[in-house]
Amino acid sequence: MEKISESVKKKDHESKVRGSALYVDDHVMDGMLYGKLLHSTKAKARITNISLPKLLDGYFVVDKKDVTGVNRVHIVEDDTPVFAEDTVEYVGEAILMVVGPDFKEVKRILDDIIVTYEEETPILDMQKSDTVFFNYNYAKGDIDKAFEEADRIFTETFHTGYQEQAYLETQGMIAYPHDGRMTVRGSMQCPYYVYGAVSKALGYEEKDVQIIQDVTGGGFGGKEAFPSILACQTAVAAKKANKPVKVVFDRREDMEFTSKRHPSVSTYKVAIKNGKITGMDIEVIFNSGAYTTLSPVVLQRGLICANGVYRIDNLRVMGRAVKTNTVPCGAYRGFGAPQTFFAVEMIMDHISKEIGVDSLEFKEEYIVKQGDSTSTSGKYHFHVPLPEMIEQIDKLADYRAKRKQYLIQNGRYRKGIGLSLFFHGCGFTGSGERDFIKAVAKIRKNSDDTVEILVSNADIGQGLKTTFSKIVADTLGISYEQVLINDPDTDLVPDSGPTVASRSLMTVGELLRRAAEKLKKEWKAGEVQIIEEHFVEPDFVIPFSLDKFKGDAYPTYSWGVNAIEVEVDTLTATTKILGAWGSFDVGVPIDMNIIQGQMQGGFLQGIGYAFMEQMDYNDKGMIRNNSFSDYIIPTAVDVPNLVTEIINNPYTHGPYGAKGAGELPLVGAAPAYVEAMENALGADLNKIPFTTEDTMIVLQEVHKKC
Amino acid sequence: MLKFILNDQEVTSNSKANERLLDVLRNEFSITGVKCGCKEGECGACSIILDGRLVNSCMVAIGSIEGSTVITIEGYRETKRFAVLDKAYASVSAVQCGFCIPGMILASECILDKNPNPTEAEIREGISGNLCRCTGYNAIVKAISIAAKEGKGLW
Amino acid sequence: MVNCYNPTSLKEALDIIAKEVVTPYAGGTDLMIDPNENPTYLFLNKVSEIKNIVEDKEFIRIGAACTFADVIENELTPEILKEASSQIAAPAIRNIGTIGGNICNGSPKADSALIFFATDSKLRLVSNRGERVIPITEFYLGRKKTTLEKDELLVEVLMSKNGLNNYYYKKVGERNALAISRVSFAAILNVDAGKIANCMTAFGAISDVIIRQENIDAMFIGKTIEEAKGVKEEYLAEYDQAIAPIKGRISAKYRKTVCMNLLHDFLESNGI
Repeated sequence: MEKISESVKKKDHESKVRGSALYVDDHVMDGMLYGKLLHSTKAKARITNISLPKLLDGYFVVDKKDVTGVNRVHIVEDDTPVFAEDTVEYVGEAILMVVGPDFKEVKRILDDIIVTYEEETPILDMQKSDTVFFNYNYAKGDIDKAFEEADRIFTETFHTGYQEQAYLETQGMIAYPHDGRMTVRGSMQCPYYVYGAVSKALGYEEKDVQIIQDVTGGGFGGKEAFPSILACQTAVAAKKANKPVKVVFDRREDMEFTSKRHPSVSTYKVAIKNGKITGMDIEVIFNSGAYTTLSPVVLQRGLICANGVYRIDNLRVMGRAVKTNTVPCGAYRGFGAPQTFFAVEMIMDHISKEIGVDSLEFKEEYIVKQGDSTSTSGKYHFHVPLPEMIEQIDKLADYRAKRKQYLIQNGRYRKGIGLSLFFHGCGFTGSGERDFIKAVAKIRKNSDDTVEILVSNADIGQGLKTTFSKIVADTLGISYEQVLINDPDTDLVPDSGPTVASRSLMTVGELLRRAAEKLKKEWKAGEVQIIEEHFVEPDFVIPFSLDKFKGDAYPTYSWGVNAIEVEVDTLTATTKILGAWGSFDVGVPIDMNIIQGQMQGGFLQGIGYAFMEQMDYNDKGMIRNNSFSDYIIPTAVDVPNLVTEIINNPYTHGPYGAKGAGELPLVGAAPAYVEAMENALGADLNKIPFTTEDTMIVLQEVHKKC
Repeated sequence: MLKFILNDQEVTSNSKANERLLDVLRNEFSITGVKCGCKEGECGACSIILDGRLVNSCMVAIGSIEGSTVITIEGYRETKRFAVLDKAYASVSAVQCGFCIPGMILASECILDKNPNPTEAEIREGISGNLCRCTGYNAIVKAISIAAKEGKGLW
Repeated sequence: MVNCYNPTSLKEALDIIAKEVVTPYAGGTDLMIDPNENPTYLFLNKVSEIKNIVEDKEFIRIGAACTFADVIENELTPEILKEASSQIAAPAIRNIGTIGGNICNGSPKADSALIFFATDSKLRLVSNRGERVIPITEFYLGRKKTTLEKDELLVEVLMSKNGLNNYYYKKVGERNALAISRVSFAAILNVDAGKIANCMTAFGAISDVIIRQENIDAMFIGKTIEEAKGVKEEYLAEYDQAIAPIKGRISAKYRKTVCMNLLHDFLESNGI
């Protein structure tokens, strides 16, 4: 194990374990008011009237008329309203906010408000959508020729469902005006995203806006863009009140009305000649929900991953993100990749069965190698460690032997084992990092020779405070305790970019390492020194063009292999997870415990995505399972000890060899689980979540055939 | 007017009898270590120790606890047992976002108080009502197991 | 203005409920999920008479304010009730949730109520006007509707001391803890001198009330195991006709299939 990987006590351990860490709802300010949003109860309607009850002194309503800037939240594009205009486009859209000193009274007023809607027919099914928000197409080789010359064409459609981030701390913000400025603090991943959005909504110059990240109780992507919306709403309220306003979502509100993982439908057509894959033609639809938010970027990543870890020389991928009158979907760990990796892993599995070859044996033939071309005609510039990771997993899980063994079973309990191969493209897709984010990181040596890290990346549990500090301390050759880092405050830190895309360690960590190296050379004891570093795209990267959808979508990739073993009780169709093994390549772990924690946490979220976590809307566009009792995430007794192995495969352009780590572990769990279920049930499956009910239907069908 | 013992101190609450203990602790007594994750008894973030038992404070009406003993993380963190758990959790970096942690620590205490040498299955059962979205539970289970070994004699 | 009562004796509690409109609150774990805005709670957690588990000549008597934790930890508790109680929710809920609350809440998903149905247990309901002991099977009128009078309190559950050892229990939820039952099944079969002395089966969570089919169960009474095998098909066919699960968080079809599978397995596990 590299020295940097040796685990240390986390910077934020003390305050959190002692319960003294303050999250946004723990802050109380003098004269603070409480706000609660009124959410649309209709999926598509015109608002014809809003009748308010009599309001006590000190209570008031905030709506579109109170927006002093532009009534739009800037998130890539600018279509999301801060407060609804004349129409609502989904159940949950914010119409107004009630604000006042007593929260119970605020709720009472909210319950008495009557909104008159003129209902219109919503479009809920993504396949019936009439509005394409985004579409991208790319191709390489000659797919039409491959299809002409094929012996057979394998066609299959895959469905993936919603996933709710279910962070333990719900969304929350406090906004307070002071000295002509507005400060917004709260639970978030991207302070500078919030900064830009709030400035526009208030019509303030950026210097008059301050955004502070509070200790954040989990994000997983759910706090990448949504906080900008809540921050704008709260800031508008605080401006009207000229007092601090706090808004904290309750769990049901959060589950029903905040951003989720995009459901998808993917159709794969695969050309086979002489038992070999000669081409893939892939069509992907992502359900954006009512507004665009992050859909363009999620779709891009999903399409880039559409052919998985496989070398497919004749490839066509077409994708669209479409509008429906449902909650706008956004970022969730994996960000488009889990959807298409599920599809491609399953189709490879199904084709192998048709051809009569073991699925792993079949897949192994197509695994890309260093030097191969990527889906978008970029290059795999670095070693692809999948073969050794497969052997590692096979040894740990006894995969190959069990897979064979479980082909023939009878009795009440049926076992199965499945395996998946996947990657996560490290960092922001395409040239976003270079053209868009333009990250700046700073470190400041104080006169007492402590060194403070100044970046906008947020520690949301993934340990950035610790790993950033280790990088700086180790590079400078000073003690870990001498390095300081606080939660980002836009008054104090430069914009080093958002905490997304598994970029923080790899990209910002590298900027900090360079800054520390520079400081080491220029170190003057007892003096204040500030070193600034700007992002420079590595020179080996083949520039990515979004128009042509061509080039290196990512500088490098982190790789993963998962195996999951299940046991199905044929009486009840319930599944027990007997074992879950993951091998992960994140370059070099900056802290072994932290990386293990990330792998285990992401792996379990992926397992939940595979079968337990089901969320759907009814025919009125309302999400019914909006509580922890109905949206089922795993407890400690639903899963055994997860076995996670980290391999060492240093990345030349990452700090100490580190690559993106955060999202990788979620990407491959679902196909491994479903492949295990196929092994147990003896059937081909093509949807997630693959629930108990789905299992029962298959059991009944298979039983009928016998 | 309701008297109960909060972290070893006798206190008086002026809240209405039907108020949730969670809200009374946070709002009346500024005990912010008790977190609200769902308000439906489904996540354990609001766990406290009531008369020696692990309980979700969001499910308790304040009027029912006259004379009872309530321990939150604010009280528990001063104990020797906490120090062992603190060290154990730190050694495996079991704390990620931290929101579930005060509840998990109190659940850990309740497991070990009843059973100083729990098996992995018993540990998982003991924290089965505390949801964690960050860790996948591995590190937390390991931490409790380490605390059981290291805390010989304390439990 | 009084907004709650904290009686320390049953008499005190009964006097209050005789005169006032109050909401009996034992553990609170159902009430506090979606409470009324201005309830007057009658807290029962300090009424010592209803927190005991004792045995007499015929019955194990379980106080209505006993928590699930009390029930699990007491050696007098029949195993079937211990097993069902230990699968309820999670430790924190079991530490304050009570069997009385579980029964009186009236939900067909109530895990302990299912056990009381399957064991032909009785409820002792007391008011200042007197008391009545009724089989639990007569307590429910519909979903969340019971025959509990406004001035009555459930004081204890009477479970048979004997004949509960050979039991079958299965709770099917959406996960292994904090799980609301989707189908739950409890059954008792006793063989005495080679003949089936009683057969009691009950299904929970599949309908508006817990299902007992005493007439169908009676088919096995007095038969040997071999003879029982002879009527097995008929038994299953009648049961198949009799139960019509409703759609809830999961489909009716799923529930029906699981019900029949479990019934089948229960019979097979007894050699039928």
